[in-house]
Amino acid sequence: MPISQTAVRISQMDKYYGTFHALKGINLEVAKGEKIVVCGPSGSGKSTLIRCINRLEEHQSGTITVLGTELDDNLDNIDEIRRETGMVFQHFNLFPHMTILENCILAPKLVRKQSRAEAEEVAMEYLTRVKIPEQADKYPGQLSGGQQQRVAIARALCMKPEIMLFDEPTSALDPEMISEVLDVMVGLAQDGMTMICVTHEMGFARQVADRVIFMADGEIVEEAAPETFFTTPKHERTQAFLGQILGH
Amino acid sequence: MDATLPRQTRLRALRTDYFSTRLDTLVTLGFGLLAAWVLWSLFDWGVLHAVWSAENREACGHGAEGACWAVIDARWRLIFFGLYPFEEQWRSALACAVIVLTGGASCAPWFWTARRLAALWVAGFVTFYVLMRGGIFGLTEVSEQNWGGLSLTIFIFASVTLLGMPLAIVFALLRRSQLPWIARTMGVIIDAIRSLPLLSIMFTFAIVLPFVLPGWMIGDKLHRVIAGYALFFACYQAEIIRGGIQSLPGGQEEAAQALGLGYWHRIGHIILPQAFRNALPATINQLVITFKETSLVVIIGFFEILASGNAAYGNSEWNFAHVEVYAFVGLIYFVFVFALSRYGAYLERRMAVAER
Repeated sequence: MPISQTAVRISQMDKYYGTFHALKGINLEVAKGEKIVVCGPSGSGKSTLIRCINRLEEHQSGTITVLGTELDDNLDNIDEIRRETGMVFQHFNLFPHMTILENCILAPKLVRKQSRAEAEEVAMEYLTRVKIPEQADKYPGQLSGGQQQRVAIARALCMKPEIMLFDEPTSALDPEMISEVLDVMVGLAQDGMTMICVTHEMGFARQVADRVIFMADGEIVEEAAPETFFTTPKHERTQAFLGQILGH
Repeated sequence: MDATLPRQTRLRALRTDYFSTRLDTLVTLGFGLLAAWVLWSLFDWGVLHAVWSAENREACGHGAEGACWAVIDARWRLIFFGLYPFEEQWRSALACAVIVLTGGASCAPWFWTARRLAALWVAGFVTFYVLMRGGIFGLTEVSEQNWGGLSLTIFIFASVTLLGMPLAIVFALLRRSQLPWIARTMGVIIDAIRSLPLLSIMFTFAIVLPFVLPGWMIGDKLHRVIAGYALFFACYQAEIIRGGIQSLPGGQEEAAQALGLGYWHRIGHIILPQAFRNALPATINQLVITFKETSLVVIIGFFEILASGNAAYGNSEWNFAHVEVYAFVGLIYFVFVFALSRYGAYLERRMAVAER
């Protein structure tokens, strides 16, 4: 795979919390336009893994290269990678003191140096795409969880990122709101966005993932196309995990 | 209570709130009578039997039943303006009005951008200083040593806050520095200054510092006292701001980082605005304390409003009227402190709307 086609390349990456070995010798390569779903039991290191990709967590050895730039101690590199990498969190993390529109235009204005009018136009475009343009002047606290998460996706998209990271985007939502968020994510996938999603939504994985990665105890245990992954999982930990979440 | 509540319901609410059991009724009546008696006595003393005008001073004095407001009538200029030259006291009054207007204007949401607020306060403060100090525009010079009364109190309060607040932000950020030696050093400095009484800090800055500092740094005594007070204020306020920052969910900073915002953008747009919201009640509290403790400058020879009040009854003619003078000065403090807390309450309501 030529470098220009690689979005993220992680090789022999280790991550420690103090003496706890959280991620062990991770190797992962994600091509541009590829959709990856990461799953695994809680505490397996899947969130830590995607948080390493935009340096919300620091890795201790090995290399992470995002869009051709290596993540090291150079703050300029970190900023550059964060500009090109959008992230959606489990708890939305909208800025509660700003309106929806202000949430969306803040980073484009400050980081991309766009004019207010320009940023607002882009923001309204994405808010329309996630189907809540009419909420633009409300505050996050006035919206439902599903709406807030859709705003969070729009806010990340306003920076026109190359890669989107999703960290359990539906885990904090009431069941009836999960599908409205997943619909937006499916739409994004169809448009060819590079996506790395930590999620337990196996229906979503089946529908859009190019590859499913199963993690346990800080290691990548199995990685396969969704068809293979769900029908003939090789590793017994994978089988046990799938049995648990699909079994009922 | 909701204004649209029907009368019937309000009566019933009154009954259930205050008269629902025999004990409730007893407590309500008991305290009601006590309150009525206190209020009536105050009214009787302060209004009905009071002497209002300095011309009938003879009606005051020993054995009089009411308040002797004549002392205020006779001495109000001393209370308000202290030792400020008599013919120039209009300047002091105008200066007070300018600062009060500036404070009032900065409550208006239109001014709530860093640039507008800074411009407003610099303009208001310079106007205040020029009016008080004079020496230009044909105004006679009045040195700080002769300032006094309300305008001195306001001057000290406003400059301590204006110097102390930015300093407090810097202290709070240093205290949270990722580099442990910076964070710890700042922690030690804050703890050290907080462990000293304000009085001793003022004394040190006013009296001791001139022996230590090089000549060009000494400056005016009042300015040194303000610098010391601002440092003291900043240490307390820094901890209040730090508390506000720590009560933010970690996700806020992470979300800002993930969007590519740099440190100063994160601090200026995400962290501090929310930290100040969280810290608002404590900040208002600190401002109220700061306003009242300006009265400590009397020990190094400044006649702020409380000291001027002391001087107002401190002669043989009026020496019986200290209660009236203190009541009057207390009322002035109350007006400022009450305005401050109402403003705080207004801000809280406004923010509650944003975060509903």
